[in-house]
Formats: sequence, structure tokens, C-alpha cells
Amino acid sequence: MDRRIDRRHFLVQAGAAAGAVAVAGCTLEVEDETADGSGDPTLPQFYEIQDKPDAVYLPTHREAMEMLEPVEAGEYTLAPMLSYVHPFWIISGDEIEREEPDDGNGVHLMIVVWDTETGVVLPIDSGTQLRVTKDGERIGSPRTLWTMISQQMGFHFGDNVPLADDGTYTAELTIPPLDVRTTGELEGKFAETETASFEFEYDAAFRNEIPARVEYLDREEWGEPGALEPMRHGGDMENGGHNDSDDEDAGHVQFSALPPAEEYPGIGLEPSSGADAATSGDAVFVTRLLESGSRFVEGGERYLLVSPRTPYNRVPLADMAMTATVSGGETDSAVALEQTIDGEYGIHYGAALAGVEPGSTVTIEIDSFPQVARHQGYDTAFFDMPPVELMVPDSIDS
Amino acid sequence: MTIPERGGLSRRDYLRAVVAVGGASAISACLDERGEVDVPAGTDDPDSLPARQHAWNEFLETDDDGNVRPPEHHVLVALSLASDPADRDDGDSLTEPAETVEGSLQTLERAYEWSNDGLLFTVGYTPSYFDRFDGELPETVDLPVPEALTDREDPAFDEFDALLHLASDHPEVVLRAEKALFGELETVNGEPIETDLTGVFERLEERRRTGFVGPGLPAEHTDVDGVPDSVPEEAPFFMGFRSGFRESQATEDRVTIRDGPFAGGATQQLSSLDVQLDVWFEQESHAQRVMKTFSPDHDEDQVGEVGEALETSNGLTDEQIDDTEADARNRGVVGHAQKAARAREDGEQIILRRDFNTVDGDAPGTHFLSLQREMDDFLAVREAMTGADLDVGISQNNGIRSYIFVGRRGNYLLPPRSRRALPTPRPD
Ligand code: HEM
Repeated sequence: MDRRIDRRHFLVQAGAAAGAVAVAGCTLEVEDETADGSGDPTLPQFYEIQDKPDAVYLPTHREAMEMLEPVEAGEYTLAPMLSYVHPFWIISGDEIEREEPDDGNGVHLMIVVWDTETGVVLPIDSGTQLRVTKDGERIGSPRTLWTMISQQMGFHFGDNVPLADDGTYTAELTIPPLDVRTTGELEGKFAETETASFEFEYDAAFRNEIPARVEYLDREEWGEPGALEPMRHGGDMENGGHNDSDDEDAGHVQFSALPPAEEYPGIGLEPSSGADAATSGDAVFVTRLLESGSRFVEGGERYLLVSPRTPYNRVPLADMAMTATVSGGETDSAVALEQTIDGEYGIHYGAALAGVEPGSTVTIEIDSFPQVARHQGYDTAFFDMPPVELMVPDSIDS
Repeated sequence: MTIPERGGLSRRDYLRAVVAVGGASAISACLDERGEVDVPAGTDDPDSLPARQHAWNEFLETDDDGNVRPPEHHVLVALSLASDPADRDDGDSLTEPAETVEGSLQTLERAYEWSNDGLLFTVGYTPSYFDRFDGELPETVDLPVPEALTDREDPAFDEFDALLHLASDHPEVVLRAEKALFGELETVNGEPIETDLTGVFERLEERRRTGFVGPGLPAEHTDVDGVPDSVPEEAPFFMGFRSGFRESQATEDRVTIRDGPFAGGATQQLSSLDVQLDVWFEQESHAQRVMKTFSPDHDEDQVGEVGEALETSNGLTDEQIDDTEADARNRGVVGHAQKAARAREDGEQIILRRDFNTVDGDAPGTHFLSLQREMDDFLAVREAMTGADLDVGISQNNGIRSYIFVGRRGNYLLPPRSRRALPTPRPD
């Protein structure tokens, strides 16, 4: 579990050992043109699964990647990782497009960013820019990295970056100020633009080694509901992500898991449906009502905290837009929930709520589903997101 | 300075390379390449030319739909004063150099018709230029020093004195005009050259910029790193769509300064942008590009591959413009034009865009040049276009802002033609 990055280029074979590719007993159709794989010797075979569920599902394989030494920039620590170029899905409104790398030249670059002090992973899009150079010459145009979620990596920034030649490259990252409400230990942070850079090698060894470490799941598992286990190379964000360790822990990569539901304060709102947990579009919604006087609200109102996350791995679903409506009380009132990042509870959406009484219903309308880019297994979930209907339990003070 | 061998270059590429390279030998190379160029001559009567330097529209051709068609080739020549007139006795010492400047510019006007086929040009002055004088610009001129306008940029600034913008459909015309102004020719389009700018202005080679705009021109640059083969064949701009529709441009009247000594002038904003085309064309779909350029309501049929289905408007309705904020929140994506249109006043745009594509530095980019009465108008449009106020899910869905990277910014005053030669901030 607690692997350390003690070498500059530490190869991580993500996940546990897996079985060989089982071809027999395949129940899923595989797209014809990709059934033979990409045909590029430097890439693993990418299979598209037909008839995927509208939910989080097991992908065809575990990705392999090379981890580079994390770098610090201002309040941030950035952990860069490199993989072979691979498909992912980008989303704008209702349009979904599968990004298909057209040749194997280049890397899939991923960056996990966290607050150095607290270890809280920052799953917020502020338009992080990447500039690549080699021997002082710029390679390609600057790019704005996609925000992405993957089952193994959680939330990260990334893109396929084409590279023509072998050699040592320098990547420069610019993180503009984060446009998000900050609370708790994070209050007032992330207001400056920061720049970080790191070097990496791109060569035949990389192209041969990394794809060879890909592990395919049994075909029977492909597309089944479920998720790969997150990579745990070092600390994680449980218990609010406190990295209460000392220097020895430098080099850990944080995984963006949110705390489990039971670790949130306040009173849980109950799904009107009677289900155990509130869900929409396969996302799990942890919803809490914090009594007045909480540190989230200045006035006397209660605070509604809504924390949508992926099932299984609790990866935060950031940059959504949501509105909460309380009814059954004195008046019906709708408030927009504000995306907030907190030192203890990570990313969530919140608002001060007035007029809540025992028995009130709180409806959370998802105005826009997560537009974050998706890796395989997350590409069919969190799209069609009906409102989440919740009941205020009798246990609150009226 | 070496002249590219014609080699495998297409004719247009060759000419483009010639514009980018400049240099005296480029001229002869250029003329050898084209043989005799038949370019209409200009006028001996300076009064027959418009009072505004930026009066281009009525002299430009229009496209099939009636939109102004900009000249295809552009050079922006950065200038600094050879000797500082403020070292001497302010305004008076300018009389002679100003006559030289005026005389040189009139030579160009005699040589070339004021049109696409001939030559259009302006000369603009930066706040740094005016700084050296004791007086301040009048309140009727809003010309602040350039500054960073978004939290995603760290631009360099144009702090030299002046900028000459030369534009023509013929690359050799812009080149020869530049050479004529700097003493490298004896005649220009048959017109003898008696005065030139040497001695008054020096060129800043490293700040010289070039560019092109028009259907087919961007796609001829796929040899440049960062310009993918998928740039549409007919696109006039790198990002693939027509731009500059009549109904989404300010009129020249709207951008003209009305009062004071610089009445008849305008302010000019110039930003040099890198554009990320690999992701735009190789990852986004056409439908996504349409939404992000225009609005999430625009569909592919309405726009066409490169905007050919549109006519004199980008198709935005008032309702779509009003819905920008709601679209950001509810649809997670907004269009560039939709956002920028929020800055319209009484339904009319307040800036006049004269931007063009570039491969300066061997990378795709845009020299985004706009005219407006006050720089404040530009700031308002840029703020609307940036859309930092919008609740869009991810920045790639906030119009095209994640695809453009600001490298330089400059602000200029384009005086009226009568005051274009070394103006003092308070001319009588
Ligand atoms: C690479 C950079 C850019 C490209 C490719 C681009 C492209 C376009 C396109 C295709 C349109 C729609 C067609 C039209 O209405 O003419 C448009 C509209 C517009 N753009 Fe841009 N643009 C760029 C940068 C900018 C910048 C930096 C601004 C700045 C402030 C801007 C301001 C506008 C305005 C004001 C409109 C018209 C909005 C209206 O309808 O009122 N553009 N642009």
C-alpha cells in the first residue's frame, strides 16, 4: 500500500496482479475495426465494448504508467505521470466525443494536484496550461489540460500529447488562480498563478516497457458494473486527506477519494425513494444538513452540503451546477449550490438553507452533469441525472 | 537573410514565406515569381482619400453574402523613433520629421490604389510614444497602457512607439510598400520615392509580424508544427469558421472618435495569440466546435462546414445571447460569439475586428486586431468574451478561451489621416 517514490522513474504497475486475457466465454461484442487492436506496436490493444451499461463499469484493462517525482509550486504539489497515448471521452453539453489517438507517438500525460499543506486533492478546473519544449525549442502549441476522471487515477488533469522524437522533454505547467469558494483550512488559498516544470524522457524503452505492463481483465468482466481499485501509491485522502505525516512522506501521490458518507458532519438527508443512498446517473450523493452555527455559514441558517462522487471509488464529481429547492416548509425556495473546497470534506456543493423543517423535502436539481473528460469505465455514467429527492428527517430541531 | 527556394512550396506558401522573410532580395524573388504585377495606382490628390485612416470597408470587396472581405496579406511593422524629439524642444522639433513621415506615406498613396488590390494601411501610436511629451492626451482619447486582461495570461507588451499595418491581397505589395518606406527601393509601382522613414523611424525586426486571412489560406500551412491536416480546406481562419459577419461587426462610425483633436481617429488593440489546433481539430467533433464557436443552439447544418451556410450574421438571436448565463449553467457549454455578443449595445457590436492568422515563430496563431472608439469598449467585449463570470462546467466548454493563449498585447491610437504623422498629445 504505502509505496514510496524513491527513484526518479518509478514504474507503477497499477492495481493488483490480474489474470491473463480470457478470450473464451466472451459475452460482449467487440467493435470490428478495433477487435484487432490499434495495430500500432507501441500501443496496447484498445477494445471498445459494445452495449455498455449507463453506469460505471469495469473497463477492459488496467492502465500502466510511469510516475515522475512530484514537484512543488507555491501551495501546490503536482505529481506527473506518463502513459502511452490512449482513448478518452470529452464532453460538451450533450455532445460526447471519443478521443482516438491516431498514432502511437507521444504520451498520455497526467497530473494530480494537491494542496501541499493538507494533502487535499484539488479537483477543480481553472484552465491549467501545458507548454512542452525540447532542447529549448517549443514542441507544438500550448494546451489547456482536460480535467479527467479515471477509476485508477481518480481526478487528474491530462491529455494525449503527441511527440515526434526521442529525447528529454521539459513540461511547464501553469495553474491560474482557482475560481472556487475555499473554506476551513483552505480558506483564502489558491489565489495566485503558479508555474511548475519537470523533465521526462521519451524513448523506445518507455514505448516498450509501459504498454507491456497493461493488464487485461477477463472478457467476461468487461462492461460489468463495477470499478477498478484505485491506485494507492502512498497516502490517500481518507479522513479529509490530512497528510499528517512528516517529510518522509514526500513523494506520495494523493488519490482524490472523498471521505465516506459516515465521516461527514450534520444530519443525513434521506432519499425519498427509501433507498439507502441518494443516487443519480449512478453518482452517489452524500447530503448533509449542518445545524446553524457551522463554519460554512455566517448567519444563523443551516448549511446544505452536497457531495456527489463516483460509486465504488468515491472520486469527486467536480464542476457540476446544481440547485436545491426546499418545499413543505413555509415557502418553496430554490438556491444555487456553490462549488466549495474544504480542508476537511474536500470538494462539495453548498448553500445556506432557510425554512427547513422536519418533513420538508429537498430536491437537488442537476443543472449540468459533470463535463469532466472520462476514461474508460466512466464514459457512460453521470449523464442522465434526474433530480435527487430527499426528506429532512424528524431528528432536526424545527 | 535567405530566400526560401521555391522547391516543393505551393505558390501561395512561397509568397507567404516571402512576406514573412522580407528583405530586399525577397522583392526581386517575388517579382521573378509573379512576373509583372498589375496593381492599380493610387492618387495624387490626398484630399480624395478618406479622413479616417481606418476607412477601409467601403474600399474593400465584399464576399458573396455582402460581408466585407479583408485583404489577404498583412504585415505589422513595429517602429521606434530614431531620435527622441522630446530630447529637443517638444513639438516644434517634430515639424520636419513629421513632414518626412507624411511625405513617405503619401508616396504609398500615390503608388497604390486604396483597395484590396492595391494597398491599405494605418499608422498607430502607443501610450509609450505619447509618454515622452509633457502634455497628456485629451479626454476624448481613451488609450491606457496595455495590461493582462485575464488570469490565464502573462503577456509581453508593445512598448515601442508606433505600428504600421500594411494590407493587400498581394503579398509583394505589402512587402514593396515596406521596402519603399525604408529606403530600399527607388520606385514603387512606378512612383518615384523621394522621402522615406529612415532617419525618423527604426524598424524592430523581432517585433515584426505577418499574417494572412481568406478561404484556403490556413489549410496551406499544414507543414507548420501545430497545424493539423484536418484544418478544413476552405476555412478562412485557422479555427475553421468564417468570421466578421456584417451584423456582428461594429461599423466604422461606431469605432470612430467623435470629438477633440483626434476626431476621425480610433483606438486599436492588438493581441498576439497562440492557438491550439491539434486538440481543436483532432479531439473535438465538428458539432462541438460549432457549439463552442457560436452557441450550444447552433447546429452543424445551420453553420455548415466552415460557416458557409451563414450569410451576413452569425445566426445568434437576442434570446440566445440573453441565455448565455443559463446555457453555461444548464447545458455546461457556451459559444464564443454568444458570449462576446453580450457586449453589444442596442443590438450592435462595439468593436470592429480585423484579425488575421499567422505562422510567425513557426506556430499557428492569430494577430487579433480590433478597432473601437474607446479602449474601454474593447475591455468590455473582452470581458464578455472571456466569460469568467459564467458557471461553465469545464474551461474547454467556455467558448474558445481554452484554445487561445495570449502572448502580447498592445494599445494604439490611430489618429485621423490629417494627424497621422508624429502627433503630439495636444495638437492645436
Ligand atoms: C483565435 C481567436 C478567435 C477566433 C478564431 C474567433 C472567431 C470568431 C468567430 C468564428 C465568430 C463568429 C462569426 C462572427 O460573428 O463574425 C466570432 C465572433 C466574435 N468574436 Fe471572435 N474569435 C477569436 C478571438 C476573439 C477575441 C480575442 C475577441 C475579443 C475580444 C473576439 C470577439 C468577438 C466578437 C465581439 C464577436 C461577435 C459577437 C457578436 O455577434 O456580437 N474574438 N469570433
